[in-house]
Amino acid sequence: MSAIRVRGLHRGYGPITVLSDLSMTVEAGSIYGLLGPSGCGKTTLLKVILGFLEPKAGSVEVSGAIPGSDVGYAPQEIALYPDLSIAETLRFHGRLHSMEPERILKRQDWLIDFLDLPAPTRTVGKLSGGEKRRVSLAVALLHEPSILLLDEPTVGVDPELRARIWKHMKEIAEGGTSIVITTHYIDEARQADCVGLMRHGRLLAEDSPEMVMNRQSAESLEEAFLVLCKREVRA
Amino acid sequence: MFGFIIIMPALQILLFGWAIGGTPTDLDVSVVDDAQNMGSATLIGHLEGSDALLIEIEPDLDSARESVANGESWAVIHIHAEGNISVILDNSNQQVSNTVLLELRHALEYMGPESLPLTIEDPIYGSKDPAFIDFLAPGIMTLVCFMFSLILTTMAFVGERHDGTLDRIFAAGTQPGEVLLGHLAAFTVILVGQVSVVIAISVWGFDIPVEGSILLLFAVCLLLGWAAMCLGLVVSGKAKSEFQAMQINMPLIFPALLLSGILWPVQALPDWLQPVAWALPTTWTAEACRSIMIRGWGLESEPVWMAFLANAIFAGAMLLIAARTLKVRV
Repeated sequence: MSAIRVRGLHRGYGPITVLSDLSMTVEAGSIYGLLGPSGCGKTTLLKVILGFLEPKAGSVEVSGAIPGSDVGYAPQEIALYPDLSIAETLRFHGRLHSMEPERILKRQDWLIDFLDLPAPTRTVGKLSGGEKRRVSLAVALLHEPSILLLDEPTVGVDPELRARIWKHMKEIAEGGTSIVITTHYIDEARQADCVGLMRHGRLLAEDSPEMVMNRQSAESLEEAFLVLCKREVRA
Repeated sequence: MFGFIIIMPALQILLFGWAIGGTPTDLDVSVVDDAQNMGSATLIGHLEGSDALLIEIEPDLDSARESVANGESWAVIHIHAEGNISVILDNSNQQVSNTVLLELRHALEYMGPESLPLTIEDPIYGSKDPAFIDFLAPGIMTLVCFMFSLILTTMAFVGERHDGTLDRIFAAGTQPGEVLLGHLAAFTVILVGQVSVVIAISVWGFDIPVEGSILLLFAVCLLLGWAAMCLGLVVSGKAKSEFQAMQINMPLIFPALLLSGILWPVQALPDWLQPVAWALPTTWTAEACRSIMIRGWGLESEPVWMAFLANAIFAGAMLLIAARTLKVRV
């Protein structure tokens, strides 16, 4: 069963085409690593899935109410109110999802421990870049949504914590959560169940990391991406 | 933030009150007395008693004219031997000339009806000798309420639209209308503070009389603030950055200042500009504030209820446009 099914999607801004004839399938309870250089259309694709942008052509099917409490979204920008404390930030977003105060506090304790966040009374605006990104991730995870859309969640996060985040992703994916994660740390996407290699608004390949590498007889995802890019240029 | 929200509007109102609308004092005026009788002496006495004028007696008309010509005095008041009076002005500053003429009229009025066959009775509305600030204050209050609500809303909302926070909120399934109303509710708290400060300074700080209900004055200013906020929500929908938002705000604030009858009566505008003036919520509000403060009119009078209606329509229309621009970007 697929959680997100995109078929023949076209979308641009005015005369500029960003996505052309893009198809992708995210299986329920899996991690989908969306890879590609900046400007290739990853964020636009997420915004179409979220329903912020209407497709020009093609279809997007999502299992669950999107936008709504079935989705957790961490935008590429930090996107937090700098004047609020961590606890206030979580309470604000928790209330948006109609969470009970006790449940918010329980999740807050867990998230602070898991993401190694500073004290909940700290003001978000005064945190370091990496800390802000973790708070942003905490907001997306807060209400335990069934679909997670994470736009570059591991930028500026230390490798140990990055490993922990991936470990947790795998855990919740096993529990049935479907996760789309964009990244340009290509090698960390080896841990995904499926990767989509995106360039110039289309997917060059979509398969499990092992299959993508095997098909191009590459040692790493990075190398596989390079081979695919060269082939696209020749074509 | 507190500084911007409360201190800035307070400062604006204070500066306006101090700078504009006061009566000039110590204006040099030359008097030539060719009559040299009881009447002329009394008149000069009254003129000398005025705070506005500084009387200098000149021996003859030529030397008096000379003093105006070289800028030592603003006017010559010439009392002829026959008792009639002529005035020669340095008319380079209208407010100064008006003050001189007003003071002369007062002095003549004190002398009784035989010296001036004209009596200005107590007016139906307003005081007999209104300070210009009494006319100006309702307009300036209107302008300050409009300006600060507009700037505050655009600044706060533009950032949110472009730093992704709004996307996150929409991802939670929030409707554009809910977001807009939430913003209005939050800013209303600030608005109430601003309007209170502006009214308090005008009424108690500058002792500007309010003939009507202060509560009604408060309500109409609050409604204008809402209208300005809704306009601010539209502006922030169009602007891509805070800088761009300011660029859009400037050409909105300027017409509000010039066309709303705040500095000069709307009736004096050219015909083709009149509709523009009446399309601005500030025009209706300034008119209502003047009616409440000077005429002491209530909600049953047309200028007052029209201001409520105009602001409500304006706010509603802006809110609809803002909600549209926030919807799915097709």
